[in-house]
Amino acid sequence: MIRATAQIALREWKRILTRKDHYIVLLVLPAFLFFFYAFIFDKQQAEDLPVAIWDDDRSAVSRQITFLLEQTASIHITASVSSENELRQLMQEKKIIGAVHFPKNMEKDIKSRHPVKVAVYTNASALIPSKLVYKDAAGVIITVGAGVNLQKFMKTGMTEGKAMALIMPVKLQLFTLYNPTYNYQHYLVPGLVTVAMMMMIIMVTVLIFNKEWEEGTEQELAELGKGNAGVVFTGKALAHLTASWINFALVFGIVFPIFSMYHAGTWWSLFVMFNLMSLACIGIGAMVSVIMLDVMLALDFGIFYTSPAFVFSGFTFPRWGMPWYDQYYAAIMPYTPFLDAFFKLYFMELPLRYAGPEALRLLLFIGSTFFIAVFFLQKRLDKTQTHAAPVTAS
Amino acid sequence: MLLRLLLREVKRIAADHSLVLTLLLAPLVYVFFYGSIYQYKAEEEVPIAVVDDDRTGLSQTLITQIDNSQMVNVALRTTLEGAKESMYQGHTQGFLYIEKGMEQKVLSLRQADMVLAVNAARFLPSSEVAGAITQIGLTAGAGVRLQYLQKKGMNTEMSMQEVMPVNVDYRPMFNSRSDYGTFLLPGLIAMILQQTLLIGLAGGSAAERQRGSISEWMQMAGGNASMALWGKGLFYFLLFCAYAYFFLTVNFRVLELEILGSGWELAVITVIFLLSLIPMGIFTGLLFKSQLLATQLMVFSTYPIFLITGYSWPLSEMPPFVKAVSYLLPITPFLGLYQGVVQQGAHITDRLPDLYHLLGLWCFYAAICLWKMRSLYKPNAVAQAG
Repeated sequence: MIRATAQIALREWKRILTRKDHYIVLLVLPAFLFFFYAFIFDKQQAEDLPVAIWDDDRSAVSRQITFLLEQTASIHITASVSSENELRQLMQEKKIIGAVHFPKNMEKDIKSRHPVKVAVYTNASALIPSKLVYKDAAGVIITVGAGVNLQKFMKTGMTEGKAMALIMPVKLQLFTLYNPTYNYQHYLVPGLVTVAMMMMIIMVTVLIFNKEWEEGTEQELAELGKGNAGVVFTGKALAHLTASWINFALVFGIVFPIFSMYHAGTWWSLFVMFNLMSLACIGIGAMVSVIMLDVMLALDFGIFYTSPAFVFSGFTFPRWGMPWYDQYYAAIMPYTPFLDAFFKLYFMELPLRYAGPEALRLLLFIGSTFFIAVFFLQKRLDKTQTHAAPVTAS
Repeated sequence: MLLRLLLREVKRIAADHSLVLTLLLAPLVYVFFYGSIYQYKAEEEVPIAVVDDDRTGLSQTLITQIDNSQMVNVALRTTLEGAKESMYQGHTQGFLYIEKGMEQKVLSLRQADMVLAVNAARFLPSSEVAGAITQIGLTAGAGVRLQYLQKKGMNTEMSMQEVMPVNVDYRPMFNSRSDYGTFLLPGLIAMILQQTLLIGLAGGSAAERQRGSISEWMQMAGGNASMALWGKGLFYFLLFCAYAYFFLTVNFRVLELEILGSGWELAVITVIFLLSLIPMGIFTGLLFKSQLLATQLMVFSTYPIFLITGYSWPLSEMPPFVKAVSYLLPITPFLGLYQGVVQQGAHITDRLPDLYHLLGLWCFYAAICLWKMRSLYKPNAVAQAG
């Protein structure tokens, strides 16, 4: 039994290495795709975004605030405008992403204790740069406001400590855990890479049985597995599992270290979860492959099933913000529990036990899909051998 | 002749269930399916654990204000360890710790501390939660200053003016709620239109090569590669014009999206976009001898293409090599024009460089597609096969 399983695994490896639709997807594409993903976000953060100043005050204070805005990471003053229409036009021409407006008499109003409003305009149809510009601009303006208050209170004879306590009675200490600088590369690339790994496994395993029937090699497969679907399935699954290890090593041994995304001490627990996800994907792919003998139809199923995995998993937009039916759809994809576990093990560097519920869900995927795949495969193998027997006898 | 080529394409697609699924079912299913994810547009009620060691009127007021905000859903925990554990388990996305003696400190004009830890591995909710709680903290601070000034004998109007001398007036343009759905959905819809067309065209063209029917296709066009290209492309052009119209009317209405600019200008750029995608898709497909492999690889192009168009991450922040690849994609200038017209009410004339870029890519892909078709055309093949 073990010998037959090993022979089928070896035979499957040969098939992987000799079929373009196997080796390109499993062994060539990953190296290109994973580096490309990492390379896109190599700058890690968006900086020096073009911003206009609309200065109706033209005072020392407005010039000081403009100077402070230029010192922030995301803002780079590139234009001067004199109306809302003009700044709108520049946004429409993609020349600026935001603008800051200092109203007329701003300095005078501040000195005469009249509150002023500094308007921050952003092109919010480009959400990420818009939020970065707003965050930095608001930070500068709030700081300026606090400075004005500080001077006022200290002029009344108040100590600096008491004045600060009035300006900010409750100081909020903010800790942005696991990605303190909101590094876009470190946030997005691990998700993109892992979802691609999942897609690659399914897109190839949907072909593992139907291709045998298409190529007319099913008899040879049945004989090698001694007609036992469990043996045939295990051999093929082992080959694809070991093939997925190559991509795991590529990601966690080469790509992540090169781009400083490797989290020391996490690889073992990630490897455990990755194996569970790979097995769940192999189970799904094999199940489809044995049920749908039409190769292109099986591939189409694989595409329909896997393409939405990234957006449905909650990686970029949280699942609790989706309608209930989308949340159910997310639950029937193995990437969803894997991603939840991945957050805990990779980003948060927690021990493996925290991924227990997700491991259980993946085991459910594995158990159910393996059972269905083996059941249908046995039927197909029995049929193959029944047809082959008279031919052999004659 | 164009009609004969169009009918040939219809027959070919009808006989290939994979192409039927990709070209006729996938665009409609995907656009409703993906669109539904973002139908609420913004994520709200992010669960945050709160540990209140102060247990005073001030801390209770703060917690109530935080819980009442749209962004946060407070989950009370009794200990800091419990709050951390809740985040580790994935039940909450961070925790807020209010120290003991906060109210007393505030009343005696000493600065109190409040700690907010957010799980920034979840990018979007963490930054939104941090922004919302910071805003509540600033408002609470303004309230304390107001009370202090009133106690000092200032009237309400005067003290209101003193509380916040410089205020931020945030005016997000073209997406007034700054929500994720309004930002992403138009781009996503354009992406679905492109990818279903490219996957279908590339798969179908690879199938022509796999089945050895390229020469028959070219001969039906009288050996004229240009006629063969646009005769085949006519079917896809008409079909995807219909999809584009459907998406921009029905789906936009269902998803409550607005087109701020001119419908005619949108139609013009969409037509040019589709005309540039058709030769690009056929050329890509002709590079493969297997429909299966072409389809497999085209599927993996979806995410990289979307990421390098500059829609979600500014093009200016990408490395030169990535930018160069991006400039070769018709969707890059198209999204520049489309985003301008749809989301910002701009005119094509505001973005002429994008228009010239798109037209240039149309010519480029038409030229290399024609070259590839001619290089694969063997005039005697059909006669010999016959």
